[in-house]
Amino acid sequence: MSNSPHLAEGPIVSFRGVSKTYPNGTVALTDASFDIRRGSIHAICGENGAGKSTLMKILFGLESPSAGQVLIDGAAVDTATPDFAGKHGIGMVHQHFSLVPILTVTENIILGHEPRRSIFIDRSKARRQVVELTQRFDLAVDPDARTDTLSVAAQQKVEILKALSRDTRLLILDEPTAVLSPPEIEELFNRLRDLCAAGMTILFISHKLHEVRALAETVTVLRAGRVVGTTPLAEVDDTTITRMVMGRDVDVPRRQRQRTDAPVVLELDRVSTRSRDPADRIEDISLSIRADEIVGIAGVDGSGQRGLVGVLSGLMHPASGSVRLADADMSRAAAPDWRKAGLAYLPADRYARGGTAALSLADNAIAGTDGDKALQWGPFLRRGAIRKRVQQMIADYAVRAGGTGERLDSLSGGNAQKLIAARELAGSPKLLIADQPTRGVDVAAAALLHGRIDLAARDGAAVLLITADLDELLRLADRVLVLFNGKIVADLQNHAGLTPAALGPYMLGLETAA
Amino acid sequence: MTRSILAGLTEFALTALVIGLVILAVLVPLALSQPDPLEVLRLFVLGPFGTIRHMGNILEAATPTMMTGLAATIIFRAGMFNLGVEGSFFLGGLAAAATAVLLPLTGFVATPAAILVGALVGSLACIVPGYLRVRFGASEMVNSLVLNFAFLFAGVYVLNYVLRDPNAGALMSYKLPGDFTLDRLLQGTRLHTGVIIAFVACLLGGIWLYGTRSGLNVRIVGSSPGFASHLGLASSKLLMQAQIAGGLIAGMAGAIEVLGLYSRFSWTGLPGHGWTGITVAILARENPFLVIPAALFLAYLQVGGDMLARNLDVPSEIVGLVTAAIMLAVTAAAIFRHPAFLRLIRDIKGQEQGA
Repeated sequence: MSNSPHLAEGPIVSFRGVSKTYPNGTVALTDASFDIRRGSIHAICGENGAGKSTLMKILFGLESPSAGQVLIDGAAVDTATPDFAGKHGIGMVHQHFSLVPILTVTENIILGHEPRRSIFIDRSKARRQVVELTQRFDLAVDPDARTDTLSVAAQQKVEILKALSRDTRLLILDEPTAVLSPPEIEELFNRLRDLCAAGMTILFISHKLHEVRALAETVTVLRAGRVVGTTPLAEVDDTTITRMVMGRDVDVPRRQRQRTDAPVVLELDRVSTRSRDPADRIEDISLSIRADEIVGIAGVDGSGQRGLVGVLSGLMHPASGSVRLADADMSRAAAPDWRKAGLAYLPADRYARGGTAALSLADNAIAGTDGDKALQWGPFLRRGAIRKRVQQMIADYAVRAGGTGERLDSLSGGNAQKLIAARELAGSPKLLIADQPTRGVDVAAAALLHGRIDLAARDGAAVLLITADLDELLRLADRVLVLFNGKIVADLQNHAGLTPAALGPYMLGLETAA
Repeated sequence: MTRSILAGLTEFALTALVIGLVILAVLVPLALSQPDPLEVLRLFVLGPFGTIRHMGNILEAATPTMMTGLAATIIFRAGMFNLGVEGSFFLGGLAAAATAVLLPLTGFVATPAAILVGALVGSLACIVPGYLRVRFGASEMVNSLVLNFAFLFAGVYVLNYVLRDPNAGALMSYKLPGDFTLDRLLQGTRLHTGVIIAFVACLLGGIWLYGTRSGLNVRIVGSSPGFASHLGLASSKLLMQAQIAGGLIAGMAGAIEVLGLYSRFSWTGLPGHGWTGITVAILARENPFLVIPAALFLAYLQVGGDMLARNLDVPSEIVGLVTAAIMLAVTAAAIFRHPAFLRLIRDIKGQEQGA
């Protein structure tokens, strides 16, 4: 590579007081400062929403900081300029691949900077370049294969080659191991070490502490948009890093459970799903939830939560194992069967699954109540009864709305979620799945929703709470299960001593206690 | 409640304002090129209301487009962009004519039977693309567009080889027997009882869509498939029901048009009322109750344009130009979903709450 003439010493990238506030008021980064040493493998750790991806977007030239400076080779640069990354030799492998499936490997790699002969693409030259690239970096892929015929690991190689194809000096990898199997991860790490030995600087973003430790020399920990610290990994132990990631130990008031001997409502026995997407993949999950019990699921995003919810709402079927709800076998049950059997479900994706933005509050509030004689007269809807019912729901859940005829998307996120909860929790459900019930919701609405979830449990529902908000988890759950790579790695009773920091090692895959 | 009514009124006022501006922008230059500019405006704007006969012409022109507009509304509401309405209209007309020519029916059963056959056969043009989408995920827009022409040429084949009257001067069917007709409502126009059917159909359609459980479920499936699957609604079944209902209505519209206006069937090209129906549906914001004024409004523009063409030296294509310009302005409803506009509304709401 021809990048040795650059300034040989000093950090390749320095962040100096970088802050980012989005136009809608979201503060993603506050005063972030740290250096990335030339030729090192530098890891960035932090929970979901800690500001990792915003930082990478700034470094890759997709966003500009609202305050502060980014220095490359010691000189301040304006990142949000066209082709910023290309000019400074920065390549990025995104967590979700950006390959065009119907194009060949060569076509994907040269896309955007094709070698040309007059107005035509010089295909033979392009192929030569790609072959040379695969040999130089020892990343073997067939340059003529169609991308969608390749395995995920091979597609990732193509992504890396694409990122390396433009005299790259700094390679960013965003959660590169999420889609790989252990041997593939080992192979990837070996290639990355080789690249580093050849002078490349690598920025590695990961949730998984053992991977960070296996690969990187230095780690920068982000929490809630701030840099908690940058430290050589040799100088810190896992406990310290975990504490840095999870934050201080604060105790929260916990839910008081009324009965511990209530009958078991939901029972999963060794349930597994098959899927290419790790978020949908669960392995050998056994769990039971009693009436008046809230079981909280912790785990970094994509650890199998979506698969678990899919199996419990009829959107996916287990490949093996059995699912029972109130003594009825639900292993092959479809979505309508689950609802009939008494499932209430607050989906994480409020507007795409929890309601329909384009219809009125009344329509949203009575959706799915087919056959309710109080609201229907034959096929006809009773408008007066519906208005009364919906006004009652709006009052009970303190929804701030102008009227029942307003569209759902005229409400704020918290009020929309309250209306959805009012609908789902009507008619004492047997099982309640609350998936990120208060994400993006204001404090008052969150408190109300917490109260209603607790109330549903007291009324005899088995509750599965999936949340990235550990405070919420500890506040509500009677028992906490930690998911990692689709498996339950910890099954903990929630007691006063349990803290977010105590959950950290399980969530980051360092320990198991199942 | 008052706030949502206010928002609705604002939207309506803005729409009316835009339409007015567009009409002026197109008509004023045209009027200025005439010896009596005011006469042009008067004829176009007021002419259609000048006599009972002209008002009858508006109703007559709106009859088929009310029904095709209703059909398109139901289909779009289910979330499908199925353009089979045009093909259904054509097939419905053909099948009604074929029933009249080929079946020995007489008396009061004759006309309803022909309309029924027209509706059933016509619905095919909407059902096939709908089924291909539900079963195989094939694009209903492409399929319906292409199939419209396949049905047209199949229909012309039937007309030529089965229904053609060899003694007629051109390619047209045998005369439709006298029992197969709809009664005239107004002397001097071709206005027939079909207009009553169209009105009633739109009202029933609105009651179904907004007042029944299955109407609500169709609106849910159409506006958010993810929500529908969360609720466990039978999405494919609801989608197909809407395509069938839309197809039946469009086929019926074709049958009514042929029986109400013509003594022989002679369509050798797509008549275009289905396309207009799609325009009507968009103009009516896919609301069956608003389909009635939307169809009447387009018919009014058409009659006004016809009067200009008949009485002054104005090409009748000018109507097409005016209609197109208005459609462009109105369907740019996107403006009401524009972030800037929504922010404005939010600000107003914020001030209201602050007060």
